[in-house]
Amino acid sequence: MEFVGKKRKNQTLGNVFKITCLSFVAIIQIFPLVWLFDFSLASSNELFTNGLLIIPKKIQWGNYVKAFVDGNFLLYLKNSLLINTLAVIIVLIISIMAAFAITRMSWKLSPVVRNILLLGMMIPIHATILPNYQIYNKLGLTDTIWALLIPYVAFSLPQGVFLTCSFMDSIPRELEEAALIDGCNIYRMLAVIITPLMKSSIATVSIMTFLNNWNEFMMASTYLSSNTWKTLPFSVLEFTGEYSSNYAVQFAVMALTALPAVLIYVLLNKHITKGVAAGAVKG
Amino acid sequence: MQKLYSNKWVILSLVAPGLLTFIFAILAPICLSFYYGLTDFSGLGNATYVGLENYKNLMSDAAFWTALRNSILLAFGFILIQHPLAIITAAILDKLQGKAEGFFRCVYFIPNVISVAIIAYLWKFIYNPNFGLLNNILKIFGYNKEVNWLGSGMAIWSVLVVLIWHGFGWGMLIYYTGIKNIDPVLYEAAAIDGANTRTVFMKITLPLMKPVIQVNVTLAIIAALKQMETVYLLTNGGPGNETQFLANYLYKQAFSSFKYGYGNAISVVFIVICLVITVALNKMFQEKEVK
Repeated sequence: MEFVGKKRKNQTLGNVFKITCLSFVAIIQIFPLVWLFDFSLASSNELFTNGLLIIPKKIQWGNYVKAFVDGNFLLYLKNSLLINTLAVIIVLIISIMAAFAITRMSWKLSPVVRNILLLGMMIPIHATILPNYQIYNKLGLTDTIWALLIPYVAFSLPQGVFLTCSFMDSIPRELEEAALIDGCNIYRMLAVIITPLMKSSIATVSIMTFLNNWNEFMMASTYLSSNTWKTLPFSVLEFTGEYSSNYAVQFAVMALTALPAVLIYVLLNKHITKGVAAGAVKG
Repeated sequence: MQKLYSNKWVILSLVAPGLLTFIFAILAPICLSFYYGLTDFSGLGNATYVGLENYKNLMSDAAFWTALRNSILLAFGFILIQHPLAIITAAILDKLQGKAEGFFRCVYFIPNVISVAIIAYLWKFIYNPNFGLLNNILKIFGYNKEVNWLGSGMAIWSVLVVLIWHGFGWGMLIYYTGIKNIDPVLYEAAAIDGANTRTVFMKITLPLMKPVIQVNVTLAIIAALKQMETVYLLTNGGPGNETQFLANYLYKQAFSSFKYGYGNAISVVFIVICLVITVALNKMFQEKEVK
């Protein structure tokens, strides 16, 4: 009895220690964001304090109104959502098609094509910015949605193909063969039989592609000049110039811009964790 | 059936979109980079062929070597600081049951979903000498000097802290998944043998995590090489070129110094370095596995 009691005591002590360690790391990871949110509610004069956090005399929601309106928040959010969704869909379609040809069909060049498609994973994305700028300029693609869609798809595709190939290997062939015997052609069979079986792969590829491109701004700021297609990071990028002395509003625009991604993450936490884990371990 | 599966036209139509994307968005620009790298193109006007001049200049360019050194520093920062912390945190988290586990996992990952643009500006504020969080924390501990975190000598370390902080959740999550995949029977057996936590961690967890660690280390080294966005917004390579990284340097050369040809030469070298290191790391880890 005494032994069990001692063990239990040790266990609770161990748990307290564990929670303390984890909380310490959590504070380091999350406190800067709490600080950001706190400062975004204050007025600029209150920022020059010696304490860690401010209790604003009056909560300055006006900072957010300014950030929302002058930061073109809605337009940029809409652009981000549209461009990223399109990129995800295109990556999925191309990946499933290519993965099927590579893993299922019999042709000599299959491993070569596979390796070429995967090569993109090794190429640093920023090394293509300079020449792509020239190419898009010559073709009149700068400042259009294509200037973002093409590179976003191209640099998410290798991972998409890789993941889709490894998932496709694990689904049985009987169904598709039955469909083909019934006279279904390959394209239809891919759309109607294979794609529905690939749900978990589709989720993983979508999440990885979305995470890859959602926060991208180097290419966007190089290839775009007008507001038409600018994405969410621009709310922050443009604001810091415009309101360079009004720090509180800058804090607000940063908090506001971070919000959609954090909200989506907290809501879909489980799926995203699973997706990233599957993608990262296999990738 | 076999005929259906080896129809050349069907195969071509299935892989064509992928291959065309690769050719148009990756291969063609690399070829163009190679071409421009041999010229003195400024971005406008005509390009004159200068042979290997750009590459020769690059070899004696101090900023290029600083950029490489910074990548190595960052890689060490990832491998020696971020990853050990991530593994230990993941191991502790794994032992925790119930709601707390999910909560911590969620919190750790949040910085990862926030745009680099926000992260960079946020840390610029944290480092701000006037109202920054870091100096205020130091004041609480009685250190009243205002430190210029992004000033000369200090800047590279401040940049490393941001990058290590930002990527922590990602690394933690991958290690966490790896630890979750370890067969619990092994832990039970160790518990019966009376092994303590430390022994279990050193003798079971770490050895079984070896493949995951190898993948993560490879990814960390490559991420250190490819680093650009955070540095671009936080310091833009400055002061001087102290916090320069290759990607940021080539961008700056092309768009701020109007040495477009030179920038492209750096792009080519950058790609070659990334390819060589990726292949070398894969080879190294594969050979070890065979042994």
